[in-house]
This record gives sequence, structure tokens and C-alpha cells, in this order.
Amino acid sequence: MANRIEKRLEELKSSGSKAFITYMTSGLPDYERTEQIIKAQDSTDIIELGIPFSDPIADGPVIQQASYEAIQAGASLKKTFDLMKKIRSEGIEKPIVFMLYYNTIAGCGIQSFVAGCREAGVDGLIVPDLPMEEQEPLKNALEGDDTTILIQLVSPVSKERIPQILEGARGFVYCVSSMGVTGQAADFHREVIDYLKSVKAVSKIPVMMGFGIREAEDVRPMKDIIDGAIVGSHFINILRQADFDPKAAAEYTARFKNKLNSL
Amino acid sequence: MNNKAYYGEYGGQFVSESLMNTLNEIDEAFEAAIRDPEFIKEYNYYLKQYVGRETPLYLAERLSKKYGTRIYLKREDLNHTGAHKINNVIGQILLAKRMGKKKIIAETGAGQHGVATATGAALFNMECTVYMGKEDVKRQALNVMRMEMLGAKVVSVESGSNTLKDATNEAIRTWAKTAEDTFYIIGSAIGPYPYPKMVKEFQSVISREAKKQHMEAEGKLPDVVMACVGGGSNSIGMFADFIDEPSVELIGVEAAGKGIDTDEHAASMAKGRPGVLHGTRSYLLQDEDGNVQLAHSISAGLDYPGVGPEHAYLHDTGRAKYVPITDTEAMDALMELTQTEGIIPAIESAHAVAYAFKKAKEMTPDQSMIICLSGRGDKDVNTISDYLAGKGYLN
Repeated sequence: MANRIEKRLEELKSSGSKAFITYMTSGLPDYERTEQIIKAQDSTDIIELGIPFSDPIADGPVIQQASYEAIQAGASLKKTFDLMKKIRSEGIEKPIVFMLYYNTIAGCGIQSFVAGCREAGVDGLIVPDLPMEEQEPLKNALEGDDTTILIQLVSPVSKERIPQILEGARGFVYCVSSMGVTGQAADFHREVIDYLKSVKAVSKIPVMMGFGIREAEDVRPMKDIIDGAIVGSHFINILRQADFDPKAAAEYTARFKNKLNSL
Repeated sequence: MNNKAYYGEYGGQFVSESLMNTLNEIDEAFEAAIRDPEFIKEYNYYLKQYVGRETPLYLAERLSKKYGTRIYLKREDLNHTGAHKINNVIGQILLAKRMGKKKIIAETGAGQHGVATATGAALFNMECTVYMGKEDVKRQALNVMRMEMLGAKVVSVESGSNTLKDATNEAIRTWAKTAEDTFYIIGSAIGPYPYPKMVKEFQSVISREAKKQHMEAEGKLPDVVMACVGGGSNSIGMFADFIDEPSVELIGVEAAGKGIDTDEHAASMAKGRPGVLHGTRSYLLQDEDGNVQLAHSISAGLDYPGVGPEHAYLHDTGRAKYVPITDTEAMDALMELTQTEGIIPAIESAHAVAYAFKKAKEMTPDQSMIICLSGRGDKDVNTISDYLAGKGYLN
């Protein structure tokens, strides 16, 4: 079976449209609403489902807090697998990527984790604390079956590492921008644009930009370079403000996706 | 896989992509520095003239007599700032300077590494920010004040459990954003490669001196060397020069808190299983989902759910033995050392002393042991007085 992420990205490429990816924390505020919010996102192309971890070193305060609350509310990898199995059995084909820290995988055991992903229909993995030097055991376990693929991350300081990271990369490239962190707006844009161009130049797969994006308008300066945008913390804030009402997710994602393709 | 980053199956570089170039730069700069006689000369100069090395290897006469074996104390408590932490800080800060960094960040639990880092930053005129869990800021107010007097900015970290683990997370996050001009000084033998190697290198002065001093005093190697283990910086420094001396028994003493069969301990070797935290793979206290569990020890310096990767390797290969000591055993040993030798040790170091008393019973009068007395107990007087008053623990 072809991978759902790659299949979706092929369709978008054919129709010439950009991908919209959201991040949400699994089990926040509970699994029932996690399920409803997944199902409400008709306009989202790929959903990143964050598996909460006690020590999320790559996340800012919003997702840290979301993870903490989800764990307190009883979220776990097993329950997220169960949710995935349920929605797949209902015929939902939305591409879903797990965003999780390596100790969640190691704690489960790499082999049984990968088996769990395949069984539950998890289409991809984003592991922010697993640089290419440490990926071999996971890559070996994923090999030979396209159900679940490993997504590669690059950062503005990756520079000469980029071609090596992208060698054999699957699905899409997740470009971490340092939006909201570095200085002046103009300099910032030039730097980020140069960086995105350098990734795009060597990437054979779609290039997505994430970190710090709130509205589709934010990516206007790089609309001709990137193939899609990822919204994380802001999406969590939107959900929170609406008390996790699935309708808010539906409205926000529809608006974003529509705007993204008419920039 | 970067093989040199590993000790057997432990270690590695489990950090975000945005830190990988930084780690490689530090690795190159570090390897060049320790081969540069000028760098070593400068490092040794500050260890001697500023830190006050070498520290004595003191034969504890009354204890030796009482326990029937020769007990030596390696007096790291006599270092400037009161513990071994400064050895590593001087090394890493000189490296930071050499790399052209202007700013220093550090994490701290009890505040000892934070104070040592703030001290080094004052000495070398660098801007210093120390991350400290909100709970620790409250219970270590005196060290917060010392850091601030030294010119450091102390950031109170409010996330997760509000302690050392969370302060370290926040320091790593900040570092990932600012690595261009900022050097992260890790105080324990943990973190992504090359940190465990750097910390060992800069702490190995402890065992180099002790080995020489013991040879001078006894004309032979010691039979046993022991040190307390939290993340494992003083112990890896105390072990370093003895690892290749198979006749020397190496013992690391973990904090068993209220007992390793309770939920309140910090014994990652005794009760943890391998996992990944703060950039390294090692023994870790964690639940079945891989979420990191809170550690407990009356000693804030041992109150950490992981342990340095080389210790995990020494444990698995059997080269070193790791044993647990409870809060109560440590406090009893603290009082005994205080009243027998007139030395108030840090509660961390008292864990090693407590196990030494047990170990001495199987040793003979002509054998000898070295205990690393990693720090002095001045910082602990509040905890000690609360403990003695039966009020329980500050933790």
C-alpha cells in the first residue's frame, strides 16, 4: 500500500495546491475530543498528532503545557494507538503523523513501537530529538514497509548537513524556521528565505515550513518556495480559546487552507 | 551512528537538528584545546591559583582506627566555591572563551553548579544566565543570592516538576535558539556527546592527584575508590585514572532516598532502565510510557532521574559497582564524619561516606580506600537542621 502522506502530497502536486498541516496534542483535553477534532479537519491535509512526553525539549511553552496537561489527564501511547485503530476502522484515511520524543519509542521498544504504528495506521513519524546520526535503529525497523515513514527535520543552522539529511528522505521535509526568535523583520525574512531556498534546491520531496506560523498570511513572503505550512502552537491556542470545540478547528483550518492557496 | 559518542550502548547525541552543528563545533574545539599545551597551562594555572588545587588527600585517622582500615578523604570540599563543580566550570569556560562565545548559560539544581558557573563568568567577564526550577529557587534562596551577587541572572523555570530536570530542559531550549554566541556549561557527566567526555576530562584532575598522593603516602594503589553519583561528575572524575587499574575496586553510591523499594529515591542504576533524557542514553527512572519519573533525595545534588552514560557502561561491564544509600544512612554518616573528624560534608558526599563505613567492615587494616569528599556541607545547614529537628526534609 502506498503511504497515505505521499499519496496526499502527490494529489496536491497534481492540483498545484499547497499542503496545510496542523499539530495537536493527543489526549488533550481527552481522547473523545481528540477524535472529534481530527474528524472536524476536512481542510487539513496532514495531521500531526503529538504524543505527550514529560520532557519536551524541542517545544515552546504552549505545547509543553499541552503535553503536561494531557499526561495529567491520562494520555498515553497505547491510548493513542487505540484511537488510531478506531478511526482507521471507521474508514478515515486522513494522513496522520506522530510527533513524539525518542524515549517514547525507546520506552515501548523500537520493534513493538513500529509494529504498533503499522497496525494502527500511523503514516509517519517526526522525532525532534533524533538527528540523522541516531536514526539507524529506527530506520532499520521501518524498512521494508511503506505504511509508516520517518519525516526529516532541517533547521536554519543545518547548512551543509542538509543534502545528507535529505538523502532518501520520505514524505516531506519539515523546515524549522526560527520565526519569533531572531531579530529584525526584514533581516529575518531574507535569512529565512535564503534558508528555505537552500532546502528547496536540494529536496526531491515537498518542503514544509513550521514553527511560529499563525495565519496563512504569515507565509506570503515564501509562498513561491514552500509547498506547505505547519501550524502547531497557534492551533493549540485556537482550540483552547474555543474550549476544544471541534467547530473552531473546522473553521480555522478551512479558512487557513483556503487563504494559503490564494496568496 | 557516531561511534565515538558512545560508551557501549550508552551516550549518543539525542538533540534537535538545530544543535548538531553546535555539538560538532564544541567537539572539535574541545579536542584541539586539550591537545594544546597553552590551553592546559592556562587551565592548570587557574586550578592552582584560583581554585586552590591540589586538594589534600587526608588520612582520616580516627575513622580509620574505628573501622579498621585506612580511610582517605579526597578533599574536594576545600576547592573555591566549596565543591568539585568549579574544576569543570573553569575548563568549559576557558573553552567557551577560546571559541569566541560571549555568553554562558547553565542549569542548576541545588545551586552549586550555578554558583560555580556564575563565579567563572565573573572571573572571565562573561554574561551568565542560570536556569533553576521554581521549587529549587525557593528552597535554595541563599545560592540564588550568591549567583545574583556574582552578576548572574537566575531564571526561575516553571514547567513540569519545576526542578533540575525542567531547568535542564529550559537551558537546552534556550541554547538551541542562541548557540551562535552562547556556550552551555553542563555541570554533570550527562548531556549529548561531547559533554560527558568534557566533564570527565575536566574532573579527572581529582583522580590524577589522588593516585599520586596515595602512592606517595602508601607506596601502592588504593584497594577501593568511592564517590557519590547523581549525574556522576565527581565520581567519573574520581574513577577516571583508576579505570585501567583492575586491582582498584570502584564504587559509585546512588541516593536511595526513602528506600529503593519506595517511590521516593534517585537510584537510576538500581531501579531504572535504559532511556533517553537530556541528549543521552543511559539508565533512567521512567514509567512504562517512557515518561521520566521524579527523583527524590534529601540531597538536592543527587536528586536527578538519570545518570551519566559512562557510568551506565561501567555498571554493565562490571568495572564499577553501584550501591544505594538512603537519606537516613547519609545523614547518620554526615554527623559521624562531622563529630569524628571535624569535617561537615555536603549531604551528597555523605552518601559515599555512609557506604564507606559499610565497606570498611570487609576490609583489613593494611588495605586502604579513598572517598571523594565532593563538597562541603555549609550549603546544607538548613536541611541538616530541619532533619535534626525532626521536621522532615526540605525536598
